[in-house]
Amino acid sequence: MGEEILRVENLKTYFFTEAGVVKAVDGVSFSVYEGEPLGIVGETGSGKTVTSLSIMRIVPPPGKIISGRIIYRGEDLLEKSEDEMRKIRGKKIAIVFQDPNSSLDPLFTVESQLNEVIMAHLKVTKQEARNRALELLKMVRIPDPEARLKAYPHELSGGMRQRVAIARALANEPDILIADEPTTNLDVTIQAQIIELLKELQSKLKMTLIMITHDMGLVAETTKRVVVLYAGSVAEIAPTNEIFKSMRHPYTAALLKAVPRIDRRKELKPIPGSIPNLIDPPSGCRFHPRCPYVIQRCIEEVPELEFTDQRAVACHRWKELSLKGE
Amino acid sequence: MAGLWRYILRRLLFVIPVFLAVTLLTFLITNAAGDPVQIVKFAIRRITPAQVAALEAYYHTNEPIFARYFYWLFSFLQGDLGTSLRGGLVASKILPWIGTTLELQFLALAFSLAIGIPLGVYSALKQYSKADVVISSIAIFGYSMPTFWLGIQAIIVFSLYLKWLPFGGAISPYPPYWGGSIYTDIIGHLILPVGVLTFVSLATFTRLLRASIVEVLRQDFILAARASGLRERVVVYKHALKNAISPIVTITGLSIGLSLAGAPITETVFSWPGLGYAYVQAVNALDLPVVQDLTAIITIVVLLVTILTDISYAYLDPRVRLE
Repeated sequence: MGEEILRVENLKTYFFTEAGVVKAVDGVSFSVYEGEPLGIVGETGSGKTVTSLSIMRIVPPPGKIISGRIIYRGEDLLEKSEDEMRKIRGKKIAIVFQDPNSSLDPLFTVESQLNEVIMAHLKVTKQEARNRALELLKMVRIPDPEARLKAYPHELSGGMRQRVAIARALANEPDILIADEPTTNLDVTIQAQIIELLKELQSKLKMTLIMITHDMGLVAETTKRVVVLYAGSVAEIAPTNEIFKSMRHPYTAALLKAVPRIDRRKELKPIPGSIPNLIDPPSGCRFHPRCPYVIQRCIEEVPELEFTDQRAVACHRWKELSLKGE
Repeated sequence: MAGLWRYILRRLLFVIPVFLAVTLLTFLITNAAGDPVQIVKFAIRRITPAQVAALEAYYHTNEPIFARYFYWLFSFLQGDLGTSLRGGLVASKILPWIGTTLELQFLALAFSLAIGIPLGVYSALKQYSKADVVISSIAIFGYSMPTFWLGIQAIIVFSLYLKWLPFGGAISPYPPYWGGSIYTDIIGHLILPVGVLTFVSLATFTRLLRASIVEVLRQDFILAARASGLRERVVVYKHALKNAISPIVTITGLSIGLSLAGAPITETVFSWPGLGYAYVQAVNALDLPVVQDLTAIITIVVLLVTILTDISYAYLDPRVRLE
């Protein structure tokens, strides 16, 4: 494992809506090590995307980062000025969004969208930026890149658009690439190609990859370590190869039971109940209303994230439970 | 490019039935007040039978109304606008009206855009802030107030009470001129009507742009632009504004088309000698040829500007295909 490149400490990002304060991210902590592919996994509404937007400090209103620290190479990003932060976005930390249909501006050509990102961080001429843009399109394996530079997003297929979005994120060779469900809105066959591409680029560019997903299969395939989020807080952190064998949090176990597996003909078990209301989250452990192992202590006391060797878990009963995913 | 010309041609063909329908309807409605000869006879009591006969021959009043419509239509298409019932050729009267109206309308439109766009952007960016509430309240006030009331209040306050500005008209007929010279006098006469028109249409631009930008700012590509480290200025003025501008283009197109119709109420309140004022006077005087010709000209202009507006979308948005 490399050096620690990013550490999120007790991050709280709330949304101040008319219905009340939505505690979308409520005390999330984890570390990311240089060059590793890290997974962040959880259901819709678990705080995955808000965590990544918080790291970039682009949480849209009415969202606001309330407290915590985001340490990138020893410096707290939350202390930076807006101008310093702008130089980090797209240059040091970049992000690929979920839906390539909406993450590219429909009114500008591929070339113009790549150029502006290159020229936002580097003093280069238009011609140099164009050459770089061409190089990027080749890197993400877009056929006939010269012609594609002049294309508008609507003239490209979904898979091609996502490749362009990846090219844009990699334009300035960032240290960290956050991929926020990069395949959710693509056809299954295209999904595999995009995942292959991301894996290949990650190892070629020795980039730190944060893969945000709800898909445990994708976690197994692309990551070395995984952070499991539930309702805005961390349930468990573990090396990927261990978590499939010995999960410590009942939520992780439930999540794995809900994943279809081709080698085992077992019925899928959906997790009972639904993700809690984050305006008024459950007391104690937020998973307690859905947990089969709930005891009185779970309802009364919030479990701390306990670190042991390579792993961490936030469950009062993890030592006594022996959980299985299948 | 061939597609574009085909599109324009097809749209132009659609102009024909709309034009015929509007002008026929106008012809039928105005003639319901009586035919031109009856109106002239009513106004001029001492008319000789020979003159009546000449008028009847000129207006074809012995023929059915539909035939009379076609007589009008053919003369109009040949560029002959006929004679006003109040004397004089319609064509020679209309041109100066168009000039004074455009002077007023284009200034008002230019000010509405120049003030409305920045205000709309600003209040979208500072949504629900105090500034936004103030801007939105003023905009809604301007939008809700009847133009004639606002115009009369402006005259009462600025002309009658404060004596800062002239009452009405486009120019003082004789000295003393406002501000000392004939040029400052023209400007002085423009201030109140342009001000009132701007204030009234400003609201439309500001509110529409605000809503449109708020909508665009929620899109992923705005988040992606921010995440790429682009300057906020670039994110807002390049990406958000360009995506949000199309409703403004529609309204601007419509405004340009309708501006030729003048602002009948504003022009009447300020006695502004433009097309709108002339239109109202022609209606009051039952000057049928003037009403008919003005309606026809305004119809054509509105239809053509609408086509131009639609074509402009193709330049603003590459997804729009004109075929």
